[in-house]
Amino acid sequence: MGTALATAVSQPRAAVAGCGAISAAGAGLDPLALALRDNSSALRARATLAGQRYQTTIAGWVPEETIAQLAARDPEHADARAFLMADAALREAARNLPIVSPGRRALVLSATKADILAMERVFGRQPCSKAAHRHILPRLLADDLAAAHQARGPVQCVSAACVSGLLALQQGASFIERGLADVVLVAGVDLVSHFVLAGFSSLKALDAEGCRPFDSRRTGLSLGEGAGAVALVRRDLLPSPAWTIAGWGSSNDANHLTGPSRDGSGLVLAITRAFQRAAVATGEIDYVNAHGTGTLYNDNMESLALRTVFGENVPPCSSSKGILGHTLGAAGVLETILCLLAAHSGTLPGTPRLLERDPVAPQTMLLRPQPAIRLRCMLKINSGFGGANAALVLRQDQV
Amino acid sequence: MSDIVVRAASWLGPEGSGNDLAGLAKWPAPLGEALRRGELEELRWAHLFEAEAQRFARMDWLSRLGLMAVELLRARFETWDPPDLEQTGVCVETAAGCLTSDLDFLRQPRPTVFAYTLPSTVIGEICIRHRFKGPMLCLMSAGGSTRAAIDEGAAWLREGAAKSCVCVACEAVSTDAAALLPPDLALENAWQACALLLGRKSGAPRERALAGGTLNEIGRDLVLAASRG
Repeated sequence: MGTALATAVSQPRAAVAGCGAISAAGAGLDPLALALRDNSSALRARATLAGQRYQTTIAGWVPEETIAQLAARDPEHADARAFLMADAALREAARNLPIVSPGRRALVLSATKADILAMERVFGRQPCSKAAHRHILPRLLADDLAAAHQARGPVQCVSAACVSGLLALQQGASFIERGLADVVLVAGVDLVSHFVLAGFSSLKALDAEGCRPFDSRRTGLSLGEGAGAVALVRRDLLPSPAWTIAGWGSSNDANHLTGPSRDGSGLVLAITRAFQRAAVATGEIDYVNAHGTGTLYNDNMESLALRTVFGENVPPCSSSKGILGHTLGAAGVLETILCLLAAHSGTLPGTPRLLERDPVAPQTMLLRPQPAIRLRCMLKINSGFGGANAALVLRQDQV
Repeated sequence: MSDIVVRAASWLGPEGSGNDLAGLAKWPAPLGEALRRGELEELRWAHLFEAEAQRFARMDWLSRLGLMAVELLRARFETWDPPDLEQTGVCVETAAGCLTSDLDFLRQPRPTVFAYTLPSTVIGEICIRHRFKGPMLCLMSAGGSTRAAIDEGAAWLREGAAKSCVCVACEAVSTDAAALLPPDLALENAWQACALLLGRKSGAPRERALAGGTLNEIGRDLVLAASRG
């Protein structure tokens, strides 16, 4: 496992030209950067849901004032919350893109439930605008976002549980490597709703006190909502240095529908594939952003997988779920953005809400942020229902 | 010219089921009438296969149909032996996804239903049964267009990400679930599933070069062509 042997896929590479976010931390990248710096958590209970039969209402809720501001700017989509969030994140990400023809501009959306609030309103025979109603189908949300952002190249919508975001970034990079687009807007979005809270509560998957990733007292995850967007462009259209999507891999555990494989072998496969595609060796990885949901089995599995891949030399690693919660279809995109923000500030992120590291977790698991000695190559991993695993390698070009 | 070939195809829908070797078998009379009316609950695993599928009864219909389509592929081979299970990818494309399970969960929240409120769950079921551990992707398509899954599967083979790929298109939309959608978004083919096994050209008989077309149309056409000899 020490070296990556396969040759890298031919150029052109996909590079990151911009990012945007709407999250529990607020609107834009600045609140996310502050949360990273302060190792703070945006998880909070929702008083208006008190008394409902959920395990907890503690989640990464996007502040209502943020939603109100977005709706005021776009009254046509005032009740189309998934669109509002993804659109705002995309606008921020696409601020300084090279000009290409609309036909060379693609969009990939990642979502597990798209506008689940709209579905709940339609089911409950409550008012629902036509715009929001369309977004019951994730693909139509992708189409509407593509139209709003002049993306007339390929449009895809990935819905693959908690690995959706990383697969969407993979697809975006693939569009560029395959010569199908010069600019790809990748967005991930999901909402917390009755459906989602009731579902995870029914599985007894939530931590009533809020998630504590890799903590020895962890009992479950915290949900989160929001949108992340990453604008990818053909590498040669950006000046140096730039962060590239260097490689990716996915796999299936072929083991269990809602639980991860106990031995982490599926995740190891995904990571190995990503390393092979990126042509990186394990020793080149400076930081790992784990899935780190805070469930007993996920964090155990992930710890085992990291030890299998890296042996005794697991790079510094952490989980971001304590900042924003598990944002499901947005998780891979938002957590990739957190990695890039950390790199920009030269800091290795901590693991908010982790107090007492579980002995199974790697000893390099970071409780608090630390200055990075070197941060040129990062690994982002996610796993999810259906035995899904995904890994993404981010690498900074040498100046 | 592409060296990506369709090694096998299968299809099931209201008219019948089959694969590119055996051709189309129409449903027996009472079952066929029920299935054409969309009464999927009448369809049993045992109607098509002798081997058991222990998990079948607990699945939603999207997973059941996807799994049946892949099982029809398996029946196409004397020995089900894709080149390398660890190198066999699964790419699923669906328009409505798990809309029917979503409605079931809204009506009665249960953990057994919640697990099926993700369209990618069908990939999990396929991989659990067939031990596929290759790359995976679930794409939501527009209005029944299923071209992207084959394009993706073929790209995986060209790029060396997989040695073979099972591409699946499936829809299972109940009348009640379809009513959740806006009136102008009628979904055609409320239930059907198709599976293709893509591989690289090996010179084996019955391989067909992949030259475009949508997933369910290729599967259906190959199955119908086989039934006509």
